[in-house]
Amino acid sequence: MKILYGWVREFVDLRLTAQQAADRLVNAGIEVASVTALAPDCKGVVVGEIEAIERELGASHGHRLLLCRVRTGRERYAVVCGAPNTKVGVRAAFAPPGAVLPGGRRIAAAKIHGVESQGMLCSERELGIGEEHDAGILLLDGARPGADLVATLGLDDHVLDVEITPNRPDCLSIVGIARELSALTGARFRPPAVALKESGEPARALARVAIEAPDLCHRFTARVVSGVTIGPSPAWLQARLRAVGLRPISNVVDATNYVLWELGQPLHAYDHATVADGTIVVRRAREAERFTTLDGQERQLDASMLVIADPRRAIGLAGVMGGANTEVTEKTTRVLLESAWFAPASIRRTSRALGLRTDAAYRFERGADIETLVTASARAAALIAELAGGTIARGLVDAYPRKRAPRPIRLRMSRVKRILGVAPPVAQARKILAGLGLTVKARGAELAVTIPSFRRDLSMEDDLVEEIIRVWGYDRIPSTLPGGTIALVTHPAALGQAQSVRRVLVGVGLAEVVTHTFSDPARTSLFRRPSDRPPVELLNPLAQDASWLRSNPLEGVLAAVATNVRRQQPDVRIFELCKTYARADETGEPTQPGSTGKSNVSEPARTSLRPPSNQAGLTAPATTEPRWLAIALTGARGEPGWSGGRDRVDVYDAKGLAEHALEALGLRAGSGSGGALGGFEPDCHGALTGEGGVILGEFGEVAAALREQLGIPAPVFAAVVSLDAAGAGPAAPIRYQALPRFPVVERDLAFVLGGDRPPTAAQVESAIREAAGSLLRRVVLFDVFRFPDGRSSLAWRLLFQAEDRTLTDDEVNAIQERIVRRVTETFPITLRSG
Amino acid sequence: MGHPRVDAIVREARDAAAAAQSSAELERIRVGVLGRQGELTQLLRSLGTLAPEERPLVGAAANEAKRALETLLDAKLATMLEAERQAERRRTRLDLTLPGRRPPQGSLHPLTRVHDEIVAVFAGLGFSVAEGPEIESDYYNFEALNIPRDHPARDMQDTLYVGESTLLRTHTSPVQIRTMLAQKPPLRVIVPGKVYRRDVADATHSPMFHQVEGLAVDRAITMADLKGTLELFAREMFGPRSKIRFRPSFFPFTEPSAEVDVLCFVCGGAGCRLCKQGGWLEILGSGMVHPQVLRNVGYDPEEVTGWAFGMGIERIAMLKYGIDDLRLFFDNDLRFLRQFA
Repeated sequence: MKILYGWVREFVDLRLTAQQAADRLVNAGIEVASVTALAPDCKGVVVGEIEAIERELGASHGHRLLLCRVRTGRERYAVVCGAPNTKVGVRAAFAPPGAVLPGGRRIAAAKIHGVESQGMLCSERELGIGEEHDAGILLLDGARPGADLVATLGLDDHVLDVEITPNRPDCLSIVGIARELSALTGARFRPPAVALKESGEPARALARVAIEAPDLCHRFTARVVSGVTIGPSPAWLQARLRAVGLRPISNVVDATNYVLWELGQPLHAYDHATVADGTIVVRRAREAERFTTLDGQERQLDASMLVIADPRRAIGLAGVMGGANTEVTEKTTRVLLESAWFAPASIRRTSRALGLRTDAAYRFERGADIETLVTASARAAALIAELAGGTIARGLVDAYPRKRAPRPIRLRMSRVKRILGVAPPVAQARKILAGLGLTVKARGAELAVTIPSFRRDLSMEDDLVEEIIRVWGYDRIPSTLPGGTIALVTHPAALGQAQSVRRVLVGVGLAEVVTHTFSDPARTSLFRRPSDRPPVELLNPLAQDASWLRSNPLEGVLAAVATNVRRQQPDVRIFELCKTYARADETGEPTQPGSTGKSNVSEPARTSLRPPSNQAGLTAPATTEPRWLAIALTGARGEPGWSGGRDRVDVYDAKGLAEHALEALGLRAGSGSGGALGGFEPDCHGALTGEGGVILGEFGEVAAALREQLGIPAPVFAAVVSLDAAGAGPAAPIRYQALPRFPVVERDLAFVLGGDRPPTAAQVESAIREAAGSLLRRVVLFDVFRFPDGRSSLAWRLLFQAEDRTLTDDEVNAIQERIVRRVTETFPITLRSG
Repeated sequence: MGHPRVDAIVREARDAAAAAQSSAELERIRVGVLGRQGELTQLLRSLGTLAPEERPLVGAAANEAKRALETLLDAKLATMLEAERQAERRRTRLDLTLPGRRPPQGSLHPLTRVHDEIVAVFAGLGFSVAEGPEIESDYYNFEALNIPRDHPARDMQDTLYVGESTLLRTHTSPVQIRTMLAQKPPLRVIVPGKVYRRDVADATHSPMFHQVEGLAVDRAITMADLKGTLELFAREMFGPRSKIRFRPSFFPFTEPSAEVDVLCFVCGGAGCRLCKQGGWLEILGSGMVHPQVLRNVGYDPEEVTGWAFGMGIERIAMLKYGIDDLRLFFDNDLRFLRQFA
């Protein structure tokens, strides 16, 4: 909210500069986004009166050029002016020769249409104080000729842009800020005084008020001002409104806005003649009631909304916006002035439901002051009478069905100390609270504090503790460390898991990425399988392409690969620790890509969104957030350099990294075929399985269609590890095994695999192990060779070793023969000779 | 002194050794004198043919000459071998300015680095890590934290909704509630995690970002303890000379509330571009846990007090590393990431 410092100073005796005042506010919790000088960038501009129009010089840009005689105090100038509002007798902004306009434009006498013009009559835009130009020169009715323009318009001032937190609606006004500054500095606060001259008929003869919804409207007052003449407001008032960001409309409307800004109370002026019987009914809207607001929009209301009505129809949307049907117009002669209090939550709901955010709604939803509204009504009535003429009817029509009952709050100084660790002397505390406008009675080390109507935010003891330290100064809080017992520090297993995985993957050269969890439904389809359950969708996404939550752990890493490839970085080796998001279905089975029928993964952290039992009734669909490691690789395997590194990554890199990560988590995975996740090429997609066939991870080549859609030209290999599955079992304890004391015997065996359905390497290897028995210590596949005809040769190195003796050649030969026999009998493959 | 024949052999061998150009040559000389067929060996072997009175004389002289020559030749050979090794090395010398063969360099994401640092500082102060779901209920995210429906405080955090009362958590504070419901005081936890706001991404906003929440509840815990703890944190994070300042603020779930600024570590408070001439950098929000929040979880605010704080990890990382655009964290450009290797 913009406030004018000079305006604030009308209510408090401050000797601070605007910047100093701003600093005090900031220290007390009121943010000041900026302090800007209001004065326009012009010098020497004064008020000039057009005494006479000497003659017409011709036309320019469709306007008659007139030679005027302009008077400023004692001086007279011959000035050429083409503005449409040039008239004898008006006073306007005048830049005599020597004056400087914004942009450093120095005014000098100049020939126009053969006549010397001694200076220039200026529009708002030319002066840099507004946008108006087409309407003509800036008129300054009532201003003294020769007076300085800046002073005349009150522009020798500063605008503070303050940011008021939702708990302080009392500061949403000039007077509120003045009161706050008074409390902070001790400067004297002068509450606004209203000189109200009432006359003629009593107001209650002209207006009646009935509140039919006292739960939503605690108070409604009306005043009547008769005999007004609608017209523009004086320049000083318009300048003030503009300075705080309001648009001048007419004297009556400007008066209500002026008081809104000054006192924080939203007001509304109705054309009394359009209000049937001068009778106001505050009632709930009827279901589907139609109503046209001041902005010309027809709106459909519902029964939760509050309207101001006359006996026939709605005439205002309570606390939000007035109606077009009762708007003050040029024909208005009698005004009915509303000043009321509406229930904040209701105003907020209505304003949001209709998408209608107004200055009035902003204040009412934070809480207006139910007492100040009387002052505001009087102040506005007086201002209307002053600006628009007319007389104020006697008395205030005041419907106040629910009187506010102030309740004193007990404040123990011991509580102050307990919360803050420090406390001022009780006398100081008392002074601080009194300075804020609270009524304080001391009872020893306790204070009884009565809260005024404008501080609805103060409702309990600790609120007062904050007020005391806010004014006393947060810098008086000392720095100590908490005492008491400290429990053993324990972190969730997931944190340790993540740290282990990061350590090993960074150690082997991968870069960690962090990506957005949002996903694009158009793209997501390629990541999903038909059997996947529906993803989590956002009800109010920022954009359609970010309206789902990630359901496949590869989405983020692939996006990051795409970004880098697009930026001329074709070699990408990255990983991410991420979550996917899914709704748990009716049976409570977690919906997660990667979980298969046979999975016995212990349930990943299932969220109970149920509040504790005393909050029953607020249930929500259960969701799961399974945790993953995702790896993506493309391009070169290492840093290309003078000694190699130009090898391309392949699917075994992805697999190996996943195995490496699993090993860091204490898990050895076996190879399984196929997997449950979408996004892989079907014939290059494998699984890593743990005990009992649980899928711990998956790996493969990313589907070409998917990566092409992402704009990645080269093959991408990826792997995921389910951190929930990997963390499900108990961590295997490390057990030392005695080092072997007898020598190893090595044998190499190569087999040629061919035929229609050759066995997999894993099948052959497990046959080798079974046939070999316990003396076989290690099996290493050390060579794979593909013949042009499609057959392949796989060579294994077998390491034999006994714990209790040196093995003889004969023993090993016998085992080797057993292995060869078993393998060649089980599979249609042959031993490769030589 | 010796024997003329022995002396002659020795002299000859010495001369030859002195003239030798290679270890191989020296070896030949050694074999020629001391080898199985060497002159000296032959001489010793032929002692039997000498006159009995000559035998001890010649024998002693020959043995002594053998030891002397062995010593001499060994020394000479060692020197020669070393010289030859040096020569060989010079011949095959490597260009040591070629780049070293390095394993590929991985990198931790800067947000992880800062996260780990924050966790380490608070773990040292007795804080355990707690976690909670990102898809939250309205109750935990707002209601239990004293932010009722239809309250303007909801405007402070624009929310992404998943269902009517289910949302993406807008802060890590709901984990305060979850933790307090699950445990009895005293407790000290920190809660790192992703949070979401309905904000369009720009240099300082992101619809997803990371926070760390801190919560301490005990019988006698004060705002002074909060200040001391955060001061210690600032010194660990931004250097030993860091200073912090508390500013009043408003959060519905703390009372009193404080924004915490750290003295600008670029200009030391004098005013610069980083701190926008203000001298201070806002780093987190904090306050004493609101009594209503304590009551919501079944704690008695007369029995226990507590404080909480929440900071954006991105904010801390941007200050710490001088990063000027929030979007860089989620772009994952390798040229950015590698700077944090």
